[in-house]
Amino acid sequence: MNALGFAWRSLVRQPARATLGVLGVAAVGALLLDMLMLSQGLIVSMQDLLDRGGWDVRVSAGELPRASGRMQNAGAAADEIARLPAVRSVLLVRFADARLERDGRRPLPVSFEGVAFYGDAGGTQPVNWLVLRGRDATGPGEVVVNEAIAETLGIEAGSQITLRASCVAEREALPPTRLRVTGVAEFPFEATSENTVGGSIEALARACGGNAGDDADLILVGAQDDPDVTVAAIGAILPGVYAATNADVVGRLQETGFTYFRQISTVLTTVTVSFAALLIAVLLTVSVNQRLGEVAALRALGFTRARVVKDVLSESALIVGAGGLLSLPLGLLLASGLDRILKDMPGIPASLHFFVFETQALVLHVALLAATALLAAAYPMRVVSRLPIAATLRNEVIG
Amino acid sequence: MTATPIIDARAVSRVFRMPAGPVTAVGAVSLQIQPGDHVAVRGPSGCGKSTLLHMLGCVETPTSGTLRFDGRDVSGLSDTARSLLRLRHVGFVFQRFFLLPMLTAGENVELPMSEAGLPKDQRTRRTRELLDYVGLAARADHRPSELSGGEMQRVAIARALANGPKLLLADEPTGELDEATGAQIAALLDRVNAAGTALVIVTHDPALADRARRVLTMRDGRVESERLR
Repeated sequence: MNALGFAWRSLVRQPARATLGVLGVAAVGALLLDMLMLSQGLIVSMQDLLDRGGWDVRVSAGELPRASGRMQNAGAAADEIARLPAVRSVLLVRFADARLERDGRRPLPVSFEGVAFYGDAGGTQPVNWLVLRGRDATGPGEVVVNEAIAETLGIEAGSQITLRASCVAEREALPPTRLRVTGVAEFPFEATSENTVGGSIEALARACGGNAGDDADLILVGAQDDPDVTVAAIGAILPGVYAATNADVVGRLQETGFTYFRQISTVLTTVTVSFAALLIAVLLTVSVNQRLGEVAALRALGFTRARVVKDVLSESALIVGAGGLLSLPLGLLLASGLDRILKDMPGIPASLHFFVFETQALVLHVALLAATALLAAAYPMRVVSRLPIAATLRNEVIG
Repeated sequence: MTATPIIDARAVSRVFRMPAGPVTAVGAVSLQIQPGDHVAVRGPSGCGKSTLLHMLGCVETPTSGTLRFDGRDVSGLSDTARSLLRLRHVGFVFQRFFLLPMLTAGENVELPMSEAGLPKDQRTRRTRELLDYVGLAARADHRPSELSGGEMQRVAIARALANGPKLLLADEPTGELDEATGAQIAALLDRVNAAGTALVIVTHDPALADRARRVLTMRDGRVESERLR
């Protein structure tokens, strides 16, 4: 009987202890998996979100679009960018706060995203949203709405909505504008509870009473080839703006805000691994101490020190292995629940995920659990390897 | 020409370092065990019987003196080498049996053979033979908890014989058994010895000791007398 078979029999012999160990590791392993998914989740999800839009470079007035003011003379800037050889297409984006009129009820606050293509490839480039039903809004009197608005107002493609948008200052008294809904769309960067309307820049200007100016919050650029080359080319012609590739954006987030999650994750990972190691170490130590006589007898019968050590290590590996396997579905379930809770925080894009399952996280999870099994078995392995055979046999008889 | 003794102990001592000072458990004992020998070691508790037995079985290393097993000096052997020597050439029977409770009687017997690397079919055959030899062929699939004390000791003897040892060491093999069961175990040990295995038994039981050809009496770590039968 090999060490693994022997360890299995030892576990089956004490099912309560084995179950306790496996469940403990499963719980701790689930937390560990979640921490590993959290440590890189936001970064991976943000990268995915940025890449999914199909735009390679983001141009804005400052590092944070919308928060750092608008670009002036944006139309001319977008035109200049579109003429660069390194650029494939350009989308000018302008946001405005708006109110959606409702019969007999308070107006619904919405965010209006107006866009305008520049350059030749405009028609082939995706807009900054994904049409789920109906068609995209193209004319100055057309808009698409997000699912939240469609549900709240009970509208679909073909419905009419009445908007008052504010493009210049927050407290404007503007006349209401009637717009036709052509479809329902998903806006990747909108928060879970956000209401968003999308349309052309002309539609936005119309909703703003023709007072939209020539400002933009963001210019999205599709690169011909290397986005870094495109960024350099934009910097050369527009030194006053901030241009960044998707990788730059993610890199900056990694350096600033998202590092908190990694730090928290690292601390919690260390705590969970230590807890798992202690739990298994205690269980194995108690188990080994109960069997010292048997171990001494096996040694007397000719089992080598390495063999009895291997038995303990195998037992640890079996507990951690079984618990680790159970921890995977448990961890994924827990992550999905936690993700839902965290995404309810205001301003978090609904498509962004805090917990992202990656092969790298799984590999690290397995490696950390393997290290835990080894660490947990270290003390009981030491106990059996240094067991004085004769003295133990003597004590067992006296005891 | 005399055969090489299985055990040739020359002035072996075992001193334990204790907080209150060194304690000599066995002091300068010289002893030879020949193939097929049947030796009983008697003496009061704490006289060093078990320590001597453990030294003879290469479990305990002598503090001084030389110990040869089958002509080979074992004092310088590594822990692993001594383990392998015990596995292949020494059988142990303990007062408390020390059968593994999660294994069946058959699996307990098979364990040392498995550790010695014997192929599965040979292990199965030998296990059957050994259980048959100790009269427990029908109990092969029973766990120790389903066996009586005498049956457990018989399984332990079968386990000790698994790898065909030259020397069988038994420490109080009837200590946990009633008189009748103890007599059965004693008879079984006699059979083992009669089949050619040298036998050294540490015992307080005069009836068991009287079955041996040589009876050593120990006191204060020394062999006080040796009686031949």
